[in-house]
Amino acid sequence: MDIIEKHLLKEPKRTVQNVITAVIVIVFLVWSLTAIDLSNFTSNGLAIAQNILHGIVTPNTELLFTFNKTGVPYLLLETMAIAFLGTIIGTILAIPLAFLSASNIVPKPVAFIIRLFLIFVRTIPAIVYGLMFIRVTGPGPFAGVMTMALVSIGMLSKLFVDIIEDLEVNILESLESIGCTPFEKIRYGIIPQLFAMFISVAIYRFDMNLRDAAILGLVGAGGIGAPLIFAMNAYKWSEVGSILIGLMVLILFVEFLSNKIRNTIVRG
Amino acid sequence: MIKFQNVEKKYDNGFIALNNINLTIEQGEFVAVIGLSGAGKSTLLRCVNRMHDISSGSLFVNNVDVSKLKGKQIRKLRRGIGMIFQSFNLVNRISSFKNVLVSFVPDMPLWRKILGVYTKQQKIGALEALDRVNILDKAFIRVDQLSGGQQQRVALARTLAQNPSIILADEPVASLDPITAKQVMTDFQRINKELNMTIVINIHHVDLALEYATRVVGIRSGEIVYDGPATEVTNEILDHIYNGKLEEELKGN
Amino acid sequence: MNILKAKSITLPNGKTVPVKRSKTPLIIVVLLICCYYSVQITGFNLQVLTKRIGQFWVILVDMVPPNWDYISKLWKPLFDTIKMSLLGSILGAVFALPLAYFASSNMSKNKTVVVATKFILSLLRTLPTLVAALIATFIFGIGTTAGTIAIFIFTIAYIGKLLYEQIENADLKAFEAMQSMGHSTVSAFRYAIIPQILPNYLSNAIFCFEGNVRYAAILGYVGAGGIGLMLNESLGWRNYANVGMILLLLAATVFIIETISEYIRKKLL
Repeated sequence: MDIIEKHLLKEPKRTVQNVITAVIVIVFLVWSLTAIDLSNFTSNGLAIAQNILHGIVTPNTELLFTFNKTGVPYLLLETMAIAFLGTIIGTILAIPLAFLSASNIVPKPVAFIIRLFLIFVRTIPAIVYGLMFIRVTGPGPFAGVMTMALVSIGMLSKLFVDIIEDLEVNILESLESIGCTPFEKIRYGIIPQLFAMFISVAIYRFDMNLRDAAILGLVGAGGIGAPLIFAMNAYKWSEVGSILIGLMVLILFVEFLSNKIRNTIVRG
Repeated sequence: MIKFQNVEKKYDNGFIALNNINLTIEQGEFVAVIGLSGAGKSTLLRCVNRMHDISSGSLFVNNVDVSKLKGKQIRKLRRGIGMIFQSFNLVNRISSFKNVLVSFVPDMPLWRKILGVYTKQQKIGALEALDRVNILDKAFIRVDQLSGGQQQRVALARTLAQNPSIILADEPVASLDPITAKQVMTDFQRINKELNMTIVINIHHVDLALEYATRVVGIRSGEIVYDGPATEVTNEILDHIYNGKLEEELKGN
Repeated sequence: MNILKAKSITLPNGKTVPVKRSKTPLIIVVLLICCYYSVQITGFNLQVLTKRIGQFWVILVDMVPPNWDYISKLWKPLFDTIKMSLLGSILGAVFALPLAYFASSNMSKNKTVVVATKFILSLLRTLPTLVAALIATFIFGIGTTAGTIAIFIFTIAYIGKLLYEQIENADLKAFEAMQSMGHSTVSAFRYAIIPQILPNYLSNAIFCFEGNVRYAAILGYVGAGGIGLMLNESLGWRNYANVGMILLLLAATVFIIETISEYIRKKLL
């Protein structure tokens, strides 16, 4: 046996691992395929698809450019207001929770309990929060704001914690050598490090909230979701078209803007 | 003037970091402290501005007994002593200018502290400090976009803006390349001469210590084993300070 | 407005330095104005909130204790939800790969294709998943198929975007070397770019699956099948003990999936 063959035999063999992984993936795939049931799909469906497409390309321009409370522009404005205020309140609530669940700030057990609590906050779907808040505020955008705030907390505090745990603490030593009090150390050593990143995360969440705001319509918590769903259930596809176009333009615009702002904030 | 009298520093775990230190440094001296890692160089420096407490003996800075100070008095002491660190210790996300301005914070009224609003006088002071270390053109650049040498100069400017009578520097050039290290050492030398500030510097690079400092203090296992002019340091003395491990120590860095 | 205009400071030694004005006060003012109008538009009222917050807990209190007997009816819908997200995520991730290839400006040489693909991907991303699901129920009928389609669309758009960003930022040195050896663009992509992006791609796909499970719970609300259907039903009947059970089961499922996915993703990266 020459040296080349010896080395050939030494080639790491991952065949077994690869086969097992492949089998697992295939089993899962086949298993999940059972979720597909096309028996309800009829030629009727195709006709509906055509109608929808037609409606979207020939939107109801009157609705799109009416500037009263039923027009698309106002609904979009209301949706933005809900997402904006929801993000602000969510951020205000998430900051203390993030500090309380950062393992480099509080003792481990405290951090663990707060994290567990955050998992529960995150698991409750927006619809349930919506219903809970409607009891407090009555139906309308107010309930939407509070719902958005609560669904934002989970992600916001998780990302905030990552930022907090990445804090550079050696700056605190030099502030101490200058003669700073603990308050001054927080104000000039910690806040400048956190501020920009927190804002960037909050903007990102605002972007997401705007996309998710359609859900609020399901339970009557304001925003553009309800008119959209009503129009769909009434098969008014040109109305659906005008609302969708408005929403998509707004989301694209806000995304563009938020990316731009976040880049300036993070890169300086 | 800094005066150590029979100073001893014992850590909580019983380790004696400084033992029977007697040392007097006059205003305007440029002192390099050399010795092996763990010999007690950092501890010595940090006792001067009470970042560490001493266990026994007494330590006077400008005729004030440092070990007897409390709370507010300690912070007042630190206002008059600048400190420079190996890792620069700047806030990365803000500009050099704002980093330097932070040195004025402890003396500001509360509302200014909270809002972070500085007076024009302070702004001029910060810019002057940056000018003194030749990085005025980088004033509004974010610190994370500067090179290591530039960052250390920002840190130096921050200390200068505080207008201290003493600057303590803990391995200020250890994370810089040789050429940048020389430039920063030149900055120290110039400040020492022009402003008559006392400079006490911990340093690994023996050659830099001998080239720039006027006085060398050698520490071994928490005790001073050499104290004299930089020009009189011989290879035998270095061997004594480094316990014959100078070669290893240099290789390790 | 001279608030944005630069001013300068003259040092005692004669040097003049232009000073950038801080934008922070301006930003704070803009934010406050936005807050004010948002409060006006949404009718936000702190007094109402503090006075009536007790009502918030009513539903929550009714959820405890959860109705444990209900769990036997939940397994099938729960697995439906997982199947929906799994299939939608796998298919979406697979289809995202060619799309991302065409959307990367450094891979496909035809500019129109790049712009068009990118545009389609961002349009798909703006389409709210809920709306996609609703449209799908009209076309494919009520059931898990509709949910799978909605998740599929969302996954393509999400993974596709992350993927083309990665491809555009990938190191092209090996790619060029392969081309110089006579590989076609696609084959050079396969052997030079894919190994670079694979760990991240898989990790994103798993992360997406995780999020999809959570989201699939809502999809049932519009008739797209899965456990969301049961949630809708129980909420409709105001049977909050059942709702509690559903949420508990969902929390446990999400927790298990998150733990597994975190483990796999750690191994990948």
